[in-house]
Amino acid sequence: MNLMQTPVSDTTALKPRITASGVQVYYDTNHALKDVSVNILDRTTTAFIGPSGCGKSTFLRCLNRMNDTVASARVEGKILLDGQDIYDKRVDPVQLRARIGMVFQKPNPFPKSIYDNVAYGPRIHGLARNKAELDEIVETSLRRAALWNEVKDRLSAPGTGLSGGQQQRLCIARAVATGPEVLLMDEPCSALDPIATAQVEALIDELREQYSVVIVTHSMQQAARVSQKTAFFHLGNLVEYGDTQQIFTNPQDPRTESYITGRIG
Amino acid sequence: MTPDTPHISSAFDREIDALLAKLTLMSGLVERALVDSAVALEAQDTDAAERMIRADKDIDALDEQINLDAAGLIARRSPTASDLRLILAVMRTSSSLERVGDLAKNVAKRTLPLAQSRQVEGATSTIRRMAKMVAVMLEEAMRALTRKDAVLAADVRARDLDIDTMYNTLFRSLLTHMLENQSNITPAMHLHFIAKNIERAGDHATGIAEQAIYLATGELPSDARPKAEALGSTAPKA
Repeated sequence: MNLMQTPVSDTTALKPRITASGVQVYYDTNHALKDVSVNILDRTTTAFIGPSGCGKSTFLRCLNRMNDTVASARVEGKILLDGQDIYDKRVDPVQLRARIGMVFQKPNPFPKSIYDNVAYGPRIHGLARNKAELDEIVETSLRRAALWNEVKDRLSAPGTGLSGGQQQRLCIARAVATGPEVLLMDEPCSALDPIATAQVEALIDELREQYSVVIVTHSMQQAARVSQKTAFFHLGNLVEYGDTQQIFTNPQDPRTESYITGRIG
Repeated sequence: MTPDTPHISSAFDREIDALLAKLTLMSGLVERALVDSAVALEAQDTDAAERMIRADKDIDALDEQINLDAAGLIARRSPTASDLRLILAVMRTSSSLERVGDLAKNVAKRTLPLAQSRQVEGATSTIRRMAKMVAVMLEEAMRALTRKDAVLAADVRARDLDIDTMYNTLFRSLLTHMLENQSNITPAMHLHFIAKNIERAGDHATGIAEQAIYLATGELPSDARPKAEALGSTAPKA
């Protein structure tokens, strides 16, 4: 099987998992994201692409309220997860982030054992009633992250002792352990070699059978390989959103075309 | 959308330019082969015909080279959007040109027996005019491709109708010659295959024009290609 291959699939029948409308983000007086409206579909990998500073990571961070941690950030507009406003006062951001998991650019395992890295989320959210259930969640999550076979005999070893690619898959296992509905990935492969990248990409393709995956990437080829939908951001605007196949063969906006073909423009 | 702004990597632009230069060179050889084969036929110049049969190798070699270069560009540059469409269009166009080269070669091959046989009045001058028209179509389809000119491409595409009409008229005329005198059958059959070859070359020129439209707009024309009426009452039922 070719790890890099993503079958082209029909996304027309899929329902939106996240609905964003009129989202504006300001960092102090800097208007970083301008009136972004988009649906993130269920069981779909959506790629956010665009040059540095275009707002793609800012928007990704809005989706699980990571911008709450930035003092100068102000978010306007509406973001609904399954119809519920995630910026509603009654929504607990910690609970929200169990439902919308995140994987970062650099693998960042806790300085704990492999087991405890994965068990951390389920423990604080009380998802397991006893040790046996927790063991099961840890195993299932590690299997889902395609890491189980490599670490099952050394679960008590420190997570930081794994290779870069393994660490990133450990972080993915940690993110899926709380049973999220959406997985946000901010350049998850930029620190990985091609083999580890291919493994993570194969994993993304499996994960999207259960979750909605949103990936920010600087690699055009990666966006083309793993996603079914692509959103192109430029200077804080969502310029174009569409089927990945269409964006990469026949983009409608000249800014999209210039960016993905590597043109001055 | 097909931007004319250069790539950030100027080496990429140079590689695309080199690929298009080879395709243009190939198209020039093919256009000349088509016209020269028809001229050699009319002049019964068997020396020229034999030279042309040998020259088809150069066209085939260019096709091979273009395909290698295009594969290399795909592997190394991962082209997208209009870059991807350009490389796909170049590969398809190269195949079409290679086929037209073969058709011209076949015209030259049939010129050898025809030079020894009875003359069929009027046929070779019509064939020469047809070949000239198709060569112009090829040249303009190539210009539409390199300039990403969908309007010119649509114009070339519409002209295929004229070629079809000329072919159908010639077909009926050859049929009449064969009915009048049985000894016309062998040369008329050769001339018919030659006319059919030129008509097919016109289809390839139309195909290249369609690639130019695909390159310029991102979509192949969806309407059916203009078609002349069927061969008419004198034609054998298919």
